[in-house]
Amino acid sequence: MSAQLWAVVVVGIVVLAAACLEAFRARRARSRTVGAAAAPASDPYILYFTGEGCTVCRTHQEPALAKLDGVRVDKVDAIADRELADRFNVYTLPTTVVMSADGRALHVNYGYAPANKLDRQLTEARTGPAMERTATA
Amino acid sequence: MGELYSDSHREVGSIHMALTTVDHSALKVNQTGIVATVLVAVLGSQYLPALIWLIPLLAIVLLVGTFAPQYALFKQLYFQVLKPRGFVKPRPVQDRPEPHNFAQGLGGIFLTISSLFLFGPLLAGDFRPGPGLVIGLALALIVAVLAFVNLAFGYCLGCQIYFQLSKRGVIRAS
Repeated sequence: MSAQLWAVVVVGIVVLAAACLEAFRARRARSRTVGAAAAPASDPYILYFTGEGCTVCRTHQEPALAKLDGVRVDKVDAIADRELADRFNVYTLPTTVVMSADGRALHVNYGYAPANKLDRQLTEARTGPAMERTATA
Repeated sequence: MGELYSDSHREVGSIHMALTTVDHSALKVNQTGIVATVLVAVLGSQYLPALIWLIPLLAIVLLVGTFAPQYALFKQLYFQVLKPRGFVKPRPVQDRPEPHNFAQGLGGIFLTISSLFLFGPLLAGDFRPGPGLVIGLALALIVAVLAFVNLAFGYCLGCQIYFQLSKRGVIRAS
C-alpha cells in the first residue's frame, strides 16, 4: 500500500476517534443541573452559550432561536461564565442546552442547532418523564 | 418568536462586541484553496512526486497570510480577481478577524510540521520512504479535512481553539 493510502487510513482513524470523543462528551454533559444560578421557570427553556468571537452564533444560531415560539432563552457568555460553561462541558460555540423547568439538562447540542431540532427537543421536554433523553453534536 | 433578548431572561456575563466587517467569501476562497492544494499535493504526488513541494509552499502562504494579511495569496486572489470580475459574490458579516487568522496560522504550523516530516529525512540524506512520509501526508490531509469542514459546515476548529485559549486567559479577546 502506498504512503498516500496509509495517510488516508490514518486520517480516517483520527476523524472516527474525534467523532467518538464528541459523542462521549455529549453523553457526559446531559443530565447536568444548572444549579442555584437558574431563575425559576415554569416551562422548559434553553441555555444558549455564546461568545464574542462566535460568528456562527450570530449568523445561524440566533436567527434559529428567534424562530422558536414563546421560548425562554438564557444567553450565557461562555468566557465570562466559565463555571457554568464547564459544567456543561462547553468546548465549542454555539452550544444550546434544553433545560427542564426544574433545571435539569435534557438535550445538549454542541455546535449549531437548527430551529426544528430545538423545537422537537422542547416538545419532548414538555411531554414529561416519558421523554427520551438525548445528547447530540 | 423566541424571546432571546427579553428582559425576563438572564444574560450571564457581558459580551463585548468589538466587531468589524469580515467578508466571508474571502474566507471560503481561502479554505477552498487550502483543500485543493493539499489534495493535489497528496494525491498527485503518487504520480508526480514533485507535487509534494506544494505542502511547504502552502505552509509559507498560510503563515505569511497570518502575519501580513495583505499578502494572503488566496484572499488576494479573491479581492483582486474573483470579486472584481463577479465570479464570487461578497458576503460581509459582522465578525472579528482574529479567530480566523488564528485558525489560518494554526493550519500553517501544522503544514510546517508536516513538511518537516516529509523533507526532514531527505535533508538528512535518507532517501528511503519511511513512516515520516505517512505522518507528513496525514498531517497535511488533516489540515485539508478541517478546512473542508469549515467550508462546508461552518465549523472552525482553529476558532474554537482560539475560544478555549481566550476562556483560559492565554489569549486576550479584546
